[in-house]
Amino acid sequence: MSSERFLIEGELSAPGFQRWLQGHARRIGISAQIGRADADAVLVTVDGPPALLDAMEMACLLGPIDVWVESVTREAA
Amino acid sequence: MNGEAMRDQWYPVGIAAQLTPAGRDSLLLGEAIRIACDSDGAALVTDGAGRALPVITRFGHVWTTLGQPERDLFTIPEADQPGRRLVDVGTVLVRCSPLRAVENFLDIAHFPFVHTDILGSEPHTEVQRYEVEIRDDVDEVWATKVSFYQPQAAKSAQGGINAEYMYRVPAPTCSVLYKTCPARPEEWDVITLFVQPLTETTCQVWPWMALFDEDSSMTDMIHFQQMIFVQDRSILENQIPALLPLDPGMEIPTRADMTSIAYRRWLKRHGYTYGAQLVAA
Repeated sequence: MSSERFLIEGELSAPGFQRWLQGHARRIGISAQIGRADADAVLVTVDGPPALLDAMEMACLLGPIDVWVESVTREAA
Repeated sequence: MNGEAMRDQWYPVGIAAQLTPAGRDSLLLGEAIRIACDSDGAALVTDGAGRALPVITRFGHVWTTLGQPERDLFTIPEADQPGRRLVDVGTVLVRCSPLRAVENFLDIAHFPFVHTDILGSEPHTEVQRYEVEIRDDVDEVWATKVSFYQPQAAKSAQGGINAEYMYRVPAPTCSVLYKTCPARPEEWDVITLFVQPLTETTCQVWPWMALFDEDSSMTDMIHFQQMIFVQDRSILENQIPALLPLDPGMEIPTRADMTSIAYRRWLKRHGYTYGAQLVAA
């Protein structure tokens, strides 16, 4: 198991993005705690197996259709 | 039309060497077009109202557009390299989204399972880490440092090799694969997938290659590549949803899908959504 912080940056003001993050984390079986959340940046702490954290990063990079994710920066929590 | 930005792009609509004065009817982005040639053999493409559309003849194919492209059709410098054999592979009609066809071409992980004992084999199923970027200077998606064991990487291959790949997406329905050349390991073979979007859920695929291969007959090279695309077709025609999702929805992309994710991000950023699904599956 690993614990990482994902700094997600982009145009993230669409309502429901945080709910989408938590829903996708739940779907792939990792935990996600949302910290700072602005219109252009969201910080989320994720815990789970490394391969699933990679999968979370991939999903975040695409994001829901009404959100544009410019980048996902990862660091150990 | 869904995906207005895609009108202003160039699309393949036929093989230049196979044009006839009588012509034939086809579709482009759901609209009727006609492809023919004049008495000198020059390509003529018209829309449903008989209006002449812009034409470019390049890579052995005729390209046209329904809109007003800001850029010239992309180039492939290797196509002009002496010694390469340029192969018009033919065409395959596929009942899938044109974007799905390109995405499948970019997917490495399916090789051992769909192209078994040719482009992949078990137990060599792991996709090693590779690099993907959207190159802003040329506005293209590139995947580099891709490496995969292949039992028969090309018609010219003698036994299995660890093939190196680079993928390039220079247009929403076109992809160029640069692949280790078995006959000349210091060069790249070029294999392209040019896709004509007939409708959002049907497309005409026009593969084309620029290879160093002095031994294989043209027929053998064409048959080899057609065999690969026919294997892909049955997978493509059964994908659900039929349109390419631009939202992860119920899918769970992994690191092996980095190229697909970059491609979808690029489509989303530009509004290239003809053939895309815009709501979560």
